[in-house]
Amino acid sequence: RIMPVRWSRYNPSYLEPEVKKELYEKPSEELTEEEREQMELKAVRPIKAAPPTLSSSVFTDPMISKFTNMMMKNGNKVLARSLMSQTLEAIKRKQLEKYHKAPENEKETIECNPYVIFHQALKNCQPIIGLSNITRGGKTYQVPVPLTDNRKRFLAMKWLITECRENKHRRTMMPEKLCQELLQAFNNEGPVIKKKHVLHKMAEANRAYAHFRWW
Amino acid sequence: QLERGCALHTAARDCQSSLSSQDVPAERPRAVFHTSESDPAKHTEQHEGRLYHIPLEEVKAVFPHGLPHRFQQQIQTFNEARVMVRRPALELLAYLKGSNLAHPAVRYVIYGERGTGKTMTLCHVVHYCSRQGWLVLHIPDAHLWVKNCKELLQSSYNKERLDQPLQASVWLKNFKTSNERFLQEIKTQRKYMWGKRESTEEGRPLGEVVEQGLARVRSASDAVGVVLRELKLQSPRGSFRLLVAVDGVNALWGRTTLRKEDKSPVSPEELTLVHNLRKMVRNDWSGGAIVTTLSQTGSLFKPSSAYTPQELLGREGFDTLDPFVPIPVPNYSPREFESCYSYYLERRWLQHEKAHTEDGKAELQFLSGSNPRQLDRLAGPL
Repeated sequence: RIMPVRWSRYNPSYLEPEVKKELYEKPSEELTEEEREQMELKAVRPIKAAPPTLSSSVFTDPMISKFTNMMMKNGNKVLARSLMSQTLEAIKRKQLEKYHKAPENEKETIECNPYVIFHQALKNCQPIIGLSNITRGGKTYQVPVPLTDNRKRFLAMKWLITECRENKHRRTMMPEKLCQELLQAFNNEGPVIKKKHVLHKMAEANRAYAHFRWW
Repeated sequence: QLERGCALHTAARDCQSSLSSQDVPAERPRAVFHTSESDPAKHTEQHEGRLYHIPLEEVKAVFPHGLPHRFQQQIQTFNEARVMVRRPALELLAYLKGSNLAHPAVRYVIYGERGTGKTMTLCHVVHYCSRQGWLVLHIPDAHLWVKNCKELLQSSYNKERLDQPLQASVWLKNFKTSNERFLQEIKTQRKYMWGKRESTEEGRPLGEVVEQGLARVRSASDAVGVVLRELKLQSPRGSFRLLVAVDGVNALWGRTTLRKEDKSPVSPEELTLVHNLRKMVRNDWSGGAIVTTLSQTGSLFKPSSAYTPQELLGREGFDTLDPFVPIPVPNYSPREFESCYSYYLERRWLQHEKAHTEDGKAELQFLSGSNPRQLDRLAGPL
């Protein structure tokens, strides 16, 4: 049997499901020409099944869902999602406690929104340049190479998760450790940021081989 | 949208009517749902849906145990303790205010679905009683006494029963913190022997019995039994009023998960703590009240959809508790939901940008079904 992993088995006439509420709430006068055509097409064409990750909730965030999927083990999405929500709550509690104890002038500097902290921490962990193995004349060289956005995000998330899984005490819970790591990454300190700097230094050291890259 | 408008309209009307009494001034529209009345005795229907403040020292003195875990975390995060005044609590307070203490103690059973606020109602009543100067006998969760017990000793007083030293000593410590002054005033009425050499004479203050229980952990359960007996005998005299507040009373008549050394199951009667507590919950004494809560969450061998007294207490428990006043606790009304939501907003607990919008609020109300626990869990990561 061929499972449709990378290429879709749907007939090309099938349309994607539309989840955004604002599009349906608009009265028909405000729609532009393309949108009007799209609505008419939806009346006749069949629609693909919506994937379980697609949600019409106002609180969904694609980065958080991607991170939850990467944390998931053996398909246990329920556990991964609860760990993620416990992490966000832990971050919020820590920051709020700091906020309430701080004097008035420092209160604006303390960031309490766990989503903002998460996004900023991920951005701080993303490497700018990566290394790739290229074999020339029998020897493999580590060549500095630019990374795409997707690859940068993936590496940042992967480093965070591996760091939390490996370098923690047996009795610490994952949300606690993740919360610590995210707060450290938000302040540009911690082991994940160090790993990023090590990668940058290696790329800088191997500058001479940059011309091996042909793409 | 209509009911939101209605809720705001009623809130605005109440705000205007309560401006005459010394409630929150109108320059802070968010604080409409707070009230400065921190004495539960003065809470009326006017305060329904509002949150009142308990000073932190009072929380430590009145509730050394008994508040739900999530609420304690909330107190620590927000640096303040705010409890919502709800209709079942107001009903109970009205009954307590009008009760005749010469008659036998009336039993009240607070029941409701999971996470609707039964324990918080109980804590509200306990706060009222401690403010009024009653002696509060608060058992935070009777389920903790029938499961997960590391040490079970054979009782020295009665060969068939089993003792639980750890749970008893923890309870005695918390009882001491909450009722310091009564322990000096109440005197024992007969001599009690603790083993062969130690004894407490007649006429000694009850504090000595508690100290004995804390010092000699082996006899802690017997100390608890003595305390309960003394309080029950002396309460009809009228020198103090006694409130017995038991959370999870259905544990006293269910099954336990404990086993004796020969792996035979233990039934609740064989535990000294449960045996003495059952005697306390019978209404053969006067001069106080018994307020209990049913709880499915900690209960053993009961389906998760069970919430009525009939299902959770079983036949034996229901017959023992039989003439009781049932107090149902529903989910949040739209007004209470508004109040809780604006409290979270004001305390910066809801940090997500979309949570401040109308859409976010409607989604929270739909997803939680106005259930307080679900709302709390949903608002955690947001």
